[in-house]
Amino acid sequence: MQFGIFSVGDVTPDPTTGRTPTERERIKAMVAIALKAEEVGLDVFATGEHHNPPFVPSSPTTMLGYIAARTERLVLSTSTTLITTNDPVKIAEDFAMLQHLADGRVDLMMGRGNTGPVYPWFGQDIRQGINLAVENYALLHRLWREDVVDWEGKFRTPLQGFTSTPRPLDGVPPFVWHGSIRSPEIAEQAAYYGDGFFHNNIFWPADHTKRMVELYRARYAHYGHGRPEQAIVGLGGQVFMRRNSQDAVREFRPYFDNAPVYGHGPSLEEFTEQTPLTVGSPQQVIEKTLSFREYAGDYQRQLFLMDHAGLPLKTVLEQLDLLGEAVVPVLREEFAKRRPAGVPDAPTHGSLPAGARKKEGARA
Amino acid sequence: MRLVVVSAGLSVQSSTRLLGDRLAAAAAGRTPADVQVIEVRDLAVEIAHTFTNGFPGRALTAAFETVAAADGLIVVTPVFSASYSGLFKSFFDALSVTDEGALAGKPVLIAATGGTARHSLVLDHAMRPLFSHLRAVVVPTGVYAASEDWGAEGLDGRVERAAGELAALVPGLSTARPQPRRDSFEDVTPFEERLAALRPAG
Repeated sequence: MQFGIFSVGDVTPDPTTGRTPTERERIKAMVAIALKAEEVGLDVFATGEHHNPPFVPSSPTTMLGYIAARTERLVLSTSTTLITTNDPVKIAEDFAMLQHLADGRVDLMMGRGNTGPVYPWFGQDIRQGINLAVENYALLHRLWREDVVDWEGKFRTPLQGFTSTPRPLDGVPPFVWHGSIRSPEIAEQAAYYGDGFFHNNIFWPADHTKRMVELYRARYAHYGHGRPEQAIVGLGGQVFMRRNSQDAVREFRPYFDNAPVYGHGPSLEEFTEQTPLTVGSPQQVIEKTLSFREYAGDYQRQLFLMDHAGLPLKTVLEQLDLLGEAVVPVLREEFAKRRPAGVPDAPTHGSLPAGARKKEGARA
Repeated sequence: MRLVVVSAGLSVQSSTRLLGDRLAAAAAGRTPADVQVIEVRDLAVEIAHTFTNGFPGRALTAAFETVAAADGLIVVTPVFSASYSGLFKSFFDALSVTDEGALAGKPVLIAATGGTARHSLVLDHAMRPLFSHLRAVVVPTGVYAASEDWGAEGLDGRVERAAGELAALVPGLSTARPQPRRDSFEDVTPFEERLAALRPAG
């Protein structure tokens, strides 16, 4: 099982000091967080993609390429890559390039994006969101698997005799996750291709996540990729820890109360009770995270959101130390103990070649 | 029939609730009914949190399920600033973001209370368009009760007429109404169909 972190890349004032980091500080902080993730033994770093303030990561492969040069093991990913408003041709090129630079330590997560104005800014229409995700990904899928592509669709200029370069490293396309919080259509898309499905459950009650993941697993089996429990599932989580849980609650409360997403709403206690947010000791984080498998089944990738709500970099790095020392080693062991034989690991560049070529034949 | 009163009165006991109860009793007098009352006041915090969280809390979820399962609804609001109260509207906003078609085809009796009769058009200028938008079937007679109506003739007659219209609508609509579709998990469009729909013709 893979453990990692994902960053939204928001520039949020620290509510305890009123200080807002500059864009440069925030971008450098994201890099520092990624390097720390490798240092403390995590497997994955994923960055968001946004095209409006207060978010900085508009150019994920630039950032991930820089991180690739400064890391050895870390898998570089996205959360998410906008399959609706990006040109699928450019996604094919950018991520294949990154794959070569990072020696294959690359996968990515497709998402639609829910910021209305971003669509028209990129010449698209949010009402076509699902159709854009379907058509663009179908093209991207071919660009990475066929050397010469002739293509015509509804949303993009046609291609005749087009070759996306560089070709994927070793002929192995990056593994793709499809992220969706509430669209069954995307769970269906992930299942159809035998790709991974990531449910960013951090703001949602367990029963909702359960239904989305169950649908994906059932359809994954329907399309003949394996048994439902062999489908490739990823989940989110967000935590704030101190060795003593009371210290964690006291320190995090002002951040929670003023956070851009859930601030000024429910109490910290209500929100932690209803969603995956855990504020407490490493042991509480371990217990909560282990409980995810009770409703999502045995899954392959757990990403935590750590740099949220305006927390300063120093605090986030301390959190990553705790995650790496006191949480993830225990989770690795406990998840492994519970996992039945036959549940696969998340695909990586190293594990994919044979599988990817076989699948290509099955679904030309 | 399952009859649900949604009352947005704020005091206990409110004239809004009183009007809701009288309408429910009048309707139940015509067709045997199981009456449940939702006091929106009790759900005020969870309603607000639905907008900040994106999902309804437990008590509000239960209330939404009660509304979705109703054969007929009686909705009653006090008049605030020449319209329905914000809390009343927020209940139905939160319902429609959670379950878009919850009121589609459902018989709804609209009613309101106010300090004076001067606001009685709230029924037809605010409430009727709201429930039409939510695709409910709004009964022709709405009932408005100003303070003075509680001591005057006429309210009883309007209550009886409206309740009669609601009771008459329920049996026809409860069989004709499509089964409530909570979400799209049950009938996923096979992916090939989506791809085919995007393929250029010819």
